Amino acid sequence: MFLNSVVLILQEILEAALLISILLVLSRQLQLSARWFGTGMILGGIGAFVLSVNLATISEWLDYAGQEILIAGIMLAVLGLLTGIGLYSTLPPSPSRHALPYLMSICVALALSREGAEIVIYLGGILNHQESIQPTFTGAGIGAGIGLSAGVLLYFGLLSLPARWIFCTCILLLALIGGTMASQATLLLTQVDWITYSPVLWDSSIWLPEDSIPGHLLYALIGYEATPSLFQAIAYGLGFLLVSISATLGHLNQFRSRRTNTGDN
Amino acid sequence: MRRSTGRFVMLLALTLGIGSNTSFAGTPVVELRIRNHLFFPDTLEVPAHTKIKLLVINEDPTPEEFESYELNREKVILGHRKTVIFIGPLPPGDYPFFGEFYPKTAQGKIVVTAQQPSE
Repeated sequence: MFLNSVVLILQEILEAALLISILLVLSRQLQLSARWFGTGMILGGIGAFVLSVNLATISEWLDYAGQEILIAGIMLAVLGLLTGIGLYSTLPPSPSRHALPYLMSICVALALSREGAEIVIYLGGILNHQESIQPTFTGAGIGAGIGLSAGVLLYFGLLSLPARWIFCTCILLLALIGGTMASQATLLLTQVDWITYSPVLWDSSIWLPEDSIPGHLLYALIGYEATPSLFQAIAYGLGFLLVSISATLGHLNQFRSRRTNTGDN
Repeated sequence: MRRSTGRFVMLLALTLGIGSNTSFAGTPVVELRIRNHLFFPDTLEVPAHTKIKLLVINEDPTPEEFESYELNREKVILGHRKTVIFIGPLPPGDYPFFGEFYPKTAQGKIVVTAQQPSE
């Protein structure tokens, strides 16, 4: 139970921790107050609890498709928020930037609700097994510790980049997470037959299995799948483009307004 | 012009599989039970190139997560609840699955065979 608990909690924490780290670096680069982080964490905690309590009922909605529809909805909402973050963080500073902390906070809250609900359900189930409680919770603590450390490592890793690269790298990573959200939502909708089957594009499970350590890391960071379907790959591309194009548009706008200002002077 | 647009929309809807949730009567249903953190049966034989509706019934009071890397499937099933997971159409082969919450015991596989399994 100990090792399983370490892996399971690590998987859940890792994804959220990496997203939070990137947003924190972006927020720091834009000199925003990091108050959104606390709000997002609290809302995410409440969201995870509410979702875990109601998941049994939600799962039975829409002919047992409720769980997938809700989680796919959350993922697509995160994609929408990342698109907004990409746009607003590249637009000229004032006043559009005021929306950024709200977007970041909702993004973190949604990501935590989704990941956290599974942790609450898992640990809640273990409470029925008296003898497993101690090893499971110790494992959960260690898994959470490793996940958080990875987040801290990414945070300082990003900040140690040359200054002009930090911002672009953050946007690139957010676009990759956007792609992951779209791809995973597609997979969930296929699982309940709301999106039809599409052929598997490739099989890289021999070289890089999803259940290996690098496989898990790449899944959390760029949404790696060993056997992605065609529709998943298309969705990934669209999600990636949505975030990166919105950031480029914002950047062009900033460039144009800067030129206009220079012209005025 | 309008007709060709209509045809395009219909084609797009067909390609994306919109409306495929109106499950066809023809989709075979296969039952899988979870009891004492074990899958019953632990081996399911299904025909190749056929979409299958997997009905997972959790008889345990504890939650479990059906997971398979080979099938690209992952779903939490709460205690004393049941759920539906669609799989396939798949080429012949073995597709292992496990219960992520109790992986030591909850192990099973789906064997996809080229011919229809004998009734």
